[in-house]
Amino acid sequence: MSAQDASLSPPRSGLRAWLSPEATARIAAGIAIVAIWELAVRLWAPAFVARPSRIVAVFPAVVTDPGLWLAAGQTLGAVVQGLAFAVVLGTTIGLAIGRVPAVERFLQLYVSGLFAMPMVAILPLLTLFFGYTGDARLATVVFAAVFAIIINVSDGARAVPPEYIEVSRSFRGSGWSRLFDVVLPSSVPYLIAGLKLAAGRALIGAVVAEFYAAIPGLGYYILYNTRTFKHSEAFVAVAMLAIVGVLFELLLSRGTRWLLPWYRRDEARD
Amino acid sequence: MRRGFESMLQDKSGLARYATYAVALAAGAIIWQLIASRTNPAFLASFTATIDAIAGMVQSGALGRALASSTLVYLTGLGAAIVVGISLGLLLARVRLLRVGLESYIMVLYATPMVALIPFIMSMMGFGFAPKALVVFLFAFFSILYNTVEGARSLKPEMLEVAQSFRSGEWGIWRDVLVPHTLPYSMTGIRQGIGRGLVGLVAGEFFLSGTGIGLLIMQSERDFDVPGLYGSILVVTILGVLLMGIGRALENRFTAWRGLNR
Repeated sequence: MSAQDASLSPPRSGLRAWLSPEATARIAAGIAIVAIWELAVRLWAPAFVARPSRIVAVFPAVVTDPGLWLAAGQTLGAVVQGLAFAVVLGTTIGLAIGRVPAVERFLQLYVSGLFAMPMVAILPLLTLFFGYTGDARLATVVFAAVFAIIINVSDGARAVPPEYIEVSRSFRGSGWSRLFDVVLPSSVPYLIAGLKLAAGRALIGAVVAEFYAAIPGLGYYILYNTRTFKHSEAFVAVAMLAIVGVLFELLLSRGTRWLLPWYRRDEARD
Repeated sequence: MRRGFESMLQDKSGLARYATYAVALAAGAIIWQLIASRTNPAFLASFTATIDAIAGMVQSGALGRALASSTLVYLTGLGAAIVVGISLGLLLARVRLLRVGLESYIMVLYATPMVALIPFIMSMMGFGFAPKALVVFLFAFFSILYNTVEGARSLKPEMLEVAQSFRSGEWGIWRDVLVPHTLPYSMTGIRQGIGRGLVGLVAGEFFLSGTGIGLLIMQSERDFDVPGLYGSILVVTILGVLLMGIGRALENRFTAWRGLNR
């Protein structure tokens, strides 16, 4: 809830929070969405289409299926690994672009071009390089994530107030100290904003690679189950992807507040 | 600050900027050519071979047909997303309880990777034009709706109260308060939607039924036509850059309304 919403309704706790008009509206809307979905599928869609009552019915069987958890581990493992790689690579290149004009002049065009490119298009090329393997998925994740990080980190490195650099110079700080003690810390909020954007793209990249190259994981689990007309089973996997997407989003926006309480602006790119 | 990446070059005159771009492009092309001449051509097509492949696609008319077919799918999906997203967003801006009830669900759908729905769409709607336009719509829609609702959230209730105290009618409230306040936020959503929609277009053309520019890419992969593969990917990249430029220009044109405290 934004500060403005909070000011409208004084903070409540316990039972009264649950009875507040906001919470009631939220719950009522949720019930309405589920009811409309159930009804629409029953009335107009073929029997195999996912609907809430069937999802609830198959849920215990799907959640106890080790195959789903294996698939989730494979996909998330690739996303986390790829993001870690993209952070290291993206921060290095981003800092270079932000602080070294010659590097900026050469790379800027390519970085913004590849950022604007729809990442799905690169799949045939990556499968050509890496084969139809998990490496192709990892490469897709890195490709999907890295440019968002480069752009944000280079924005951050450029936005370092010149006074900080001057103070570091006056105290005879070395170039390395300037990089690691001044430029890097003040770029961290930008890095986190970039990571938020990159995480969403990485998740899409992993799923898309699994579709394209039939690599085992959540995306392939969805593909396989929908092809055998088990839509409700596949939907549980979609819900898992949604939860992961939301968790990334929350973790990174809360993380900014916990780790960097001094940072207030939200001006990095999305 | 949003445009910090370009700001340094914007300080210079336009000519110097384009000269820098031209030098960077030429240098990139030379490096590409040099690397390609020392690499297995089954993996990396040289710059000149890629350009030749694009010229071939233009001459045979394959590129033109592919672009025309893709454009139709893209504009249908994106157009629907813009119209529905903005109208629904404005409605939520006006009806506070509806907005409070729905915004957490909208946020969840905004964070959900919509690609995951493509297999469902395929088995429900099959092949053809409509499912692909739906994919573009789904990719773009939630960015537009989410950002419009963000704008609605930031609308101070006092503004509506003042308008009502001055006996503004419903039409006046929409025309003078709601739309001008919310539209700049929608433009951010449209910019995001333009990019996401393009991803949706290529994904739809890959995974639903092969048409347009997506088919062009896949066909060259199947035929082991490496220069054609690089050429068609280059075309999509240029398309992405152009569309992102349009999105940025649109957003900047309207963010001026937001003033300093955006």
